[in-house]
Amino acid sequence: MESRRKSLDNTPCAREAILHGAGGSVAAGLLYFLATSRVKRSFDVGFAGFMVTTLGSWFYCRMNNAKLRVQQRLIQEGIKNKVAYEGTVMDPTKKGKAEAPSGPS
Amino acid sequence: MAHPSQLGFQDAASPVMEELLHFHDHALMIVFLISTLVLYIIVAMVTTKLTNKFILDSQEIEIIWTLLPAIILILIALPSLRILYLMDEINDPHLTIKAMGHRWYWSYEYTDYEDLGFDSYMIPTQDLAPGQFRLLETDHRMVVPVESPIRILISAEDVLHSWAVPSLGVKMDAVPGRLNQTAFIASRPGVFYGQCSEICGANHSFMPIVVEAVPLEHFENWSSLMLEDA
Repeated sequence: MESRRKSLDNTPCAREAILHGAGGSVAAGLLYFLATSRVKRSFDVGFAGFMVTTLGSWFYCRMNNAKLRVQQRLIQEGIKNKVAYEGTVMDPTKKGKAEAPSGPS
Repeated sequence: MAHPSQLGFQDAASPVMEELLHFHDHALMIVFLISTLVLYIIVAMVTTKLTNKFILDSQEIEIIWTLLPAIILILIALPSLRILYLMDEINDPHLTIKAMGHRWYWSYEYTDYEDLGFDSYMIPTQDLAPGQFRLLETDHRMVVPVESPIRILISAEDVLHSWAVPSLGVKMDAVPGRLNQTAFIASRPGVFYGQCSEICGANHSFMPIVVEAVPLEHFENWSSLMLEDA
C-alpha cells in the first residue's frame, strides 16, 4: 500500500488532479442537488464533474510541467555550453565583443 | 535499481526514459478515468429502475460514444508517436560499444580506439560483498561516460538474449547472426542494473547487466587500467 501511495506522490500532477477532481465532484453534485433535489441525477452530475475537473486539472498541470521541463533543459544546455566554451571564440556571452577589432597598439 | 514490492518504473537515468515515464503517467491517468467511468456506468445500470423495451436508436449517444473514444485515442497516439520518433533520432555517438550475449554472461568490446574487451559474469550469491545486490552484480561493469551519446551494437554468440536496462529505457534483442543497434545518453552518474530479457536456458536469470556512468576523466582512467590489465 505504501509503495502505491509513493507512486501516486511521485507522479507529478496526479495528487493535485485527484484532489481537484474530488472537490469539483462534491461541488457540482451538491449544487445540482440543492437546485433540483434529485438524488440520483446529482450523483451523475457529481461524477461528470469529477471527470471534467480531474482531466482539466491534469492536462493544465502537465502542460505547465512540460513547459518547465523544456526551460530546464535549455538552461542546463546553456550552463554546460558556458562552462565548456568560456574564454573561447564560441563563448555565447562574448559574441558582440569578439567581433570588434582592436585599436592600434 | 528496483526496490522490494516496487510497482512503478525505476527513476529515469536518460532523457528518453524521462519522456517514457511522462507518457506512461499520461496514458495511465486516461486509463484510470475510463475505468472509473465504466465502473460507474455498470453500477448505474445495475441499480436503475428505468426500463424501456422500445428503444430503437439514439443518434446523440451514438455520436458521443464514437467521437469521445476517437478523441481519447488521438490524445494517446500523438505523444506516443512523438516518443517513438524521438527514440529513433539519429544522434552522433561519442562511443560505440558492442555487447555480445553468451550462455550465460555478457561480453563488452570497446573497439573505437584500442581493442578493449572483457566478459561480465554475475557474482554468485555466496561471493557477494556486504551491500551488493543479489543476482544483479557482475564482476566487470560496462562503464560509460556520463552525458555522452553511446551507441550499443548488440548480438549473440549462441541463442537469443536481450540486453535491457530499465532505468536507461533500453531493451534490444541479441540475435545470433544479426547486429542490432540502440543508443542512449546517461544523464547522471550512477550504477544502473538490468537483466537478460529473453529466455536463453538454465541460467537466463543469472546473467545481469550493470552499466556504470562516470565522468569522462574517470572513464578514461578506467579504460587505461583495463587495457593495462588485459
